[in-house]
Amino acid sequence: MSFSERLKEDFSTMTLVLIPVAIAINVVIGQIVSLLKLPVYLDSIGTVLVGVLAGPWAGALTGTLSNIVWGLTIDPNAFPWFPVAFFIGLTAGICARYGLFKTWWKVVITGIIIAFVAAIISAFINVWLYGGITASGSSFLTAYLLASGRGVIESVLATNFIFEPIDKVATSLLAWFIIKGLSVRYISRFPRAENV
Amino acid sequence: MADQLSLYVDRASPLHRLNPLTKLVLSFSLVLIGFLGPGYWLPTILFVGILIPLSFWGNIGNEFLQRAVRLILPLVLFLFVMQSLFYPGGRTVLVRIWIISLKLESIQFAYLTATRILNMVGAFLLLLLSTHPSTLMTDLTRRGLPPALTYILVSTLQIIPQMRNKANTIIDAQRSRGLETQGSVWARIGALFPLVGPLVFGSLVDVEERAIAIEARAFKAKRVKTSLREVPDSTLQRQVRWGLGLLTLVLIGIGLWR
Amino acid sequence: MAIVTLDQVTYRYPHTPQPALRNLSLEVNEGEFVAVIGANGAGKSTLCYTITGFVPHFFRGEMSGEVTVAGLATRQQTLDELMLVAGLVFQNPSNQISGAKFTVYEEIAFGLENLGVPPAEMRPRIDRVMALTGITAFADRSPYALSGGQQQRVALASILVMEPKVLVLDEPTSQLDPIGSREVFETIRAMSKQGMTVIMAEHKLEWVATFADRVIALADGGIILNGPPAEVLTSPLLNEHHIGQTRYTAVARLAQTAQLWPVAKPLPVTLDDAEAGFRTVLGAG
Repeated sequence: MSFSERLKEDFSTMTLVLIPVAIAINVVIGQIVSLLKLPVYLDSIGTVLVGVLAGPWAGALTGTLSNIVWGLTIDPNAFPWFPVAFFIGLTAGICARYGLFKTWWKVVITGIIIAFVAAIISAFINVWLYGGITASGSSFLTAYLLASGRGVIESVLATNFIFEPIDKVATSLLAWFIIKGLSVRYISRFPRAENV
Repeated sequence: MADQLSLYVDRASPLHRLNPLTKLVLSFSLVLIGFLGPGYWLPTILFVGILIPLSFWGNIGNEFLQRAVRLILPLVLFLFVMQSLFYPGGRTVLVRIWIISLKLESIQFAYLTATRILNMVGAFLLLLLSTHPSTLMTDLTRRGLPPALTYILVSTLQIIPQMRNKANTIIDAQRSRGLETQGSVWARIGALFPLVGPLVFGSLVDVEERAIAIEARAFKAKRVKTSLREVPDSTLQRQVRWGLGLLTLVLIGIGLWR
Repeated sequence: MAIVTLDQVTYRYPHTPQPALRNLSLEVNEGEFVAVIGANGAGKSTLCYTITGFVPHFFRGEMSGEVTVAGLATRQQTLDELMLVAGLVFQNPSNQISGAKFTVYEEIAFGLENLGVPPAEMRPRIDRVMALTGITAFADRSPYALSGGQQQRVALASILVMEPKVLVLDEPTSQLDPIGSREVFETIRAMSKQGMTVIMAEHKLEWVATFADRVIALADGGIILNGPPAEVLTSPLLNEHHIGQTRYTAVARLAQTAQLWPVAKPLPVTLDDAEAGFRTVLGAG
């Protein structure tokens, strides 16, 4: 099947209706979680959901639009990070394509992969945004950690490498739980139902 | 609670009457020139000399300034502090507090980044304050934006306030039980699931019927779609758009060459 | 003249062992108002989807038999071609708001835009259909800011404006309050009087008795009864298949057990029938 044919299939009517709902889920859960002062974000559950059920590109679109909506309504500081959201959706879709969303431990692996990809992209954005950081290891790391808004002590303890993967693994698992909670008949309506 | 997710301010003004694509091209031009064009003070000039006057021409000057300040101030302050302190290219030390030193070049770089971002947000703010979303969407669809994308964008704009209203009920229920600040992390999470769960599952299950509903309106028809509203355009605006595009390329070229 | 024909239709949803429709054959004539009754799971919704082509095009699954609507064979046509001749309105009012438009007026125009109708032609059609459904006052409101009954009338208007030949409704009032229900039923009745072919799945048997020309009773995916309301709604088969009865029939049945209503006398299904019947039976003047 050609790329454009696959794309058209991925963006079925069900997908088109799902995406705004997934964005709303991202925004609403993300907001509730931040109001509860929990140490995670959980603002990409919808993105992962779409990536798994409708393919990487639909997931990427969902992530990007969620980021824009978040920036417009909650916190404009989030705007520069739209590529991270893009790649979260893309990665989720690709992992699911290769069968990494079928059992809970595979989902954990997906979460770790997503966290890894997100960390790399974030680092690039931080460099670009905060400019001219030298390639020396420790200053890069510190600057990245500090620039992503963490307190100094947290950054020094490199907790970023603990919280981010937890967030993404939890996100992936929650997306998986949601899918498991929906009937097979319902899931089979989506273009990439074979991923689960 | 707002029941529409839109920055649009309804006024009668020449800016409002401009074709949305013209405003879109203007916004993108300003952003690109601001980030890639030549000159240290360019973003500042663009913001003060072009964006602010345009906003007043559009009768939305006050809203523009208020929003710009509200959106940008936290970001700018944060950026300023971060870059002033940690930008490694700085040499001229101005102030030294403990192990932190404030360098001139860092402040200069921070100012440039801050004004670039201010310029970018301002450019899109101008567009969004003066253009009704459905006008923008109708025009873009007419010019070839896939209807699927239009549907997703507009539907998102409308569904977010709906879901947030429902979610606020949940949050209020949590608050009244004092679970927001008291209770352990796990208690807070645990109390949340039975409330957020139905919201999430309910909205997901509805997706099927809503997909049927739009197919019942022939959304997937292969015909050429028409539009109820007409969005006016003019030759002059078309020429201005091309002119802006050209100007942008030239200025970026100069900026990159330097 | 049959405008809708189902010929030996059997259909099974994907991932479901039992077929939802079994060897179902049905004919509906142009201009008829046919009500479809049955217990939950009997196949009413599936029948509605089958007539409008969502079965099989949207739901996929296994289907045998032929369905023809206004001369078009549903299995051969694409769904959007079928939407020109068949319109579908279903239970949940807010799920039928497309979300693609900001005002009720534009919401109604949505279907016409998709069909490529010229703008000049759109406005009179929309105005007419809004007057018909009584929602002219809502033209500039957001569809989300309406009550359930109002939203359902918007949904109805949005389908009617596309001028289908057959209007299929799947329990359109089940989520509405009594006033909302009445408003929707009156509109549907008005359409029927104007000659529209209406097929409506419905639980509210009193309304069925008043409006329908013909009633079809479904059970387990097959038709068990097919005839005028007075005949179908009084059949003992209804009770066997957990379908219920109108309150007028219920009262008359009670009167039968109390020896007040002769067993041979036909049971009433509407208020008028009941009133006339009891007047005779009780010998009142």
